[in-house]
Amino acid sequence: MNALTMEANSGLLDLAGLEDLQSLALIGMSKNAGKTTCLNHIVSAWQTSGRTRPLALTSIGRDGESEDILNGRSKPRIYIPAGTLIASAEDALQRSDALLEILELSDVRTAFGEVIICRALSDGYVELAGPGASEEIAIISDLIRQHEPDCLFVIDGALSRRSQAGSGLSEAAILAVSAGTSAIPEILAEKTAFALELLQTPLINSEIHTDLEAAIKTHPTARAILLNQGKHQVNCTAIDLPSLVGFGQDISKELRKNTFVLLLRGAVTDQVINELLKEPHFASLVLVVEDGTRLFLKPETAHKLRNRNIELAVLDALDVRLVCLNPTRSNGQLLNPQPLLAALRQKITNIPVVDLGPANM
Amino acid sequence: MHSSVMITSELLQQVGLPAVLEACHCRTHQGSRLKKAVHFYDDQSRKNLEHELAAVNRLTGLITEKHSQIVEALTQLARLRELRGTFSRLEKGGLLDDTEFFELKGALAIFNHLGKLTEVLEFASVNFEDTTGASALLDPCGKNNPAFHIYSEYSPALAEIRTRKKDLERQISQSKGAQRNTLLTKRALVIAEEDQEEERIRWELGAKLTTWLPQMRHNAEACGLLDFRLAKADLAVRWSGCLPQLVDKGLPAMLVNASHPEVAAHLEKQGLKFTPISIELHEGTTVLTGANMGGKSVALKTIFLALLMTQLGYFPVCESLQTPLFDFFAFESSQEGDLCRGLSSFGLEAVNIRDHFRRSKTERGFIVMDEPCRGTNPAEATAIVQAVCKTYGKSESSFFIATHYPVSPQPGIRFYQVRGIRPEALQQLPAYQAKPGSEQEEANEPITGISTMIKADQREDITRVRRIQNLMDFRLEEIEGTHAVPSGAIKIAELLGVDEALLLEMKAAWLED
Repeated sequence: MNALTMEANSGLLDLAGLEDLQSLALIGMSKNAGKTTCLNHIVSAWQTSGRTRPLALTSIGRDGESEDILNGRSKPRIYIPAGTLIASAEDALQRSDALLEILELSDVRTAFGEVIICRALSDGYVELAGPGASEEIAIISDLIRQHEPDCLFVIDGALSRRSQAGSGLSEAAILAVSAGTSAIPEILAEKTAFALELLQTPLINSEIHTDLEAAIKTHPTARAILLNQGKHQVNCTAIDLPSLVGFGQDISKELRKNTFVLLLRGAVTDQVINELLKEPHFASLVLVVEDGTRLFLKPETAHKLRNRNIELAVLDALDVRLVCLNPTRSNGQLLNPQPLLAALRQKITNIPVVDLGPANM
Repeated sequence: MHSSVMITSELLQQVGLPAVLEACHCRTHQGSRLKKAVHFYDDQSRKNLEHELAAVNRLTGLITEKHSQIVEALTQLARLRELRGTFSRLEKGGLLDDTEFFELKGALAIFNHLGKLTEVLEFASVNFEDTTGASALLDPCGKNNPAFHIYSEYSPALAEIRTRKKDLERQISQSKGAQRNTLLTKRALVIAEEDQEEERIRWELGAKLTTWLPQMRHNAEACGLLDFRLAKADLAVRWSGCLPQLVDKGLPAMLVNASHPEVAAHLEKQGLKFTPISIELHEGTTVLTGANMGGKSVALKTIFLALLMTQLGYFPVCESLQTPLFDFFAFESSQEGDLCRGLSSFGLEAVNIRDHFRRSKTERGFIVMDEPCRGTNPAEATAIVQAVCKTYGKSESSFFIATHYPVSPQPGIRFYQVRGIRPEALQQLPAYQAKPGSEQEEANEPITGISTMIKADQREDITRVRRIQNLMDFRLEEIEGTHAVPSGAIKIAELLGVDEALLLEMKAAWLED
């Protein structure tokens, strides 16, 4: 580990401002972005700092296994100190070697069995396999808080995807990025900056937020909600759809000249936006999504939205505290981190960018 | 469903039994299983039914007064998990994992809690066996803590291994690089020892718990029974059900102000009220007649459901109900035929008439028919209906039929009719007036797809039908002797705008008849 990474590691908690957080999501820009390594650094820094409130860990999907189930390459394992809470599926617990005390059975089922809430009574390795849906993460979060109301709840995203790690479940996030996204420093910096822009899409103004919350309460299953400015009041149209993809037309036909807000619930992809762009009334409005992790857009799609005077906003803002670089390519080749860090830091000036190096396993 | 109830699943749905089961909220897997088993009590199991209904009745009292033990019982039951898999593994001598031990520990704590709720248990007529010995096995430190792991207290060997492991972990936390890797390797060896000792303890613990299996199974079933009876009592309170009185065979079934919960809830959503129905059903035949739209089908279903609920151990939705216990229930209403299977309605009716009659020769049934032979030529249909009524009139079964065909009085045949609409009320309704321009509007509609087959002014028709229905008195009244074939259908047709020429023909034919 070089001096730069040492410095970053020792001050990791301060750098990311984790001390006062209740919840944190680890978001990866690609597969093997380095989330688990980042998690191990947080666990280690938390233990070294002597903080009394415990960490509680879960994962969206599977994490902490010694081998990547997709390519068989070895992966960093998760080593936790005694006192840490974990929420993990039965099968994954069988592969953990920390002494675990079962506190609660969650009734949340995964492909690896029911998610179980445990407290580590000894240090040791654990494998995390948590629920896949954000509603289930919310259930796990509630159960964990029943046992440790004051813990820092860390949600590790599955397969390094950005999806579902936000959804209003965590106050803040750390973005992990690897040279797998691009080995060329400038391109990596460009892509990371754009991903951050989407993740940190600003919060919708409070008046519209209140209207949308009320509409969601009335139409809990609606995929799309439109607010139209009437003569004296705001009218709301809710549309129930099986998904957003492939149903752009159903949304388009409800758009009016006076539609000023369109809320889409679910993953908003280029395909969804391109379908909507066919409708001339899809212009001069605010496009609201649940949070920044729901936006899967290419820069050119974002550009098209700007040209139509469409502003992006979210119901739950995500506060990205740190960008962690893993200077490894997807084939395992380790690159010199310095040029990558330099390019990232030049492009991203408001969030610290660090290479934490391999965790002390 | 037990064959004691002869009915198609579609008709059972219409009768409303699935809605009753859905509304009866069990909190445990064990209770839900009892509910789904749908146990039918016949005259042979009269004592059991009396016992069941009495327990439900006592619990309704506790629920109504919101007794604190009820709240506690429901809270505990809601926490109970499905235990069959764990019990089965124990029985087969399998190795339990920590999750299963945790599950058992939780269940034993629930049994212990519930066992102390003496008033609820006494009222529900449910008893628990003492399993504190089994609880102690899973709580060797006596901490009364719901959590579980393989405790060091189970064996001195395990305690010694863990002490060594802890020391290594302390060293690991303070080391780096190669030294740390060496220590991690040492730790892995200690963990192998720990795993081995833990497995030995799991086998031993499983064997000790197996001796408690009969008591644990008994208590799990007791939870199911308590849960199911509480759910039935709660339903009885919510739906204002009554404790049915079971009378000897030969005596009539008497229902006072029976209501159909599903139909009543549907009407309530529209701001309307269900008209309760009262009736006396003797052995033999009861013929129900009434004008169209008089609610005969709803009456049949309401009465069938109330009597069926009674024999399934539920409180019927009535002010009061007395009934003998029937050996079987049958409901026939093949009005629509079976389009999917291409079977004719009369074909299905004939098969059911045959089966019900055969069974009624040796068993006492409650047999219901809703307007049989409606698609048959009237002369033959009248003969068939008359014959069936006459034959069942001599039977020990109760045959309840709604029909428009005339049935002549015979011994063993009683007549009821829906009161219907007073003729003067019907006269007061405004005459039908076609909406001006509606045909024009229809003509302008784009002629595409199936929408062209649906009338544009259907909503207006529905409102008109509803207005006529609102004038209807749905109560049943017993009538003596030959019943008049119900009239009023032509007037209703007129109010719904049937063309004048056609109406004149109808009226002429009616007078001629």
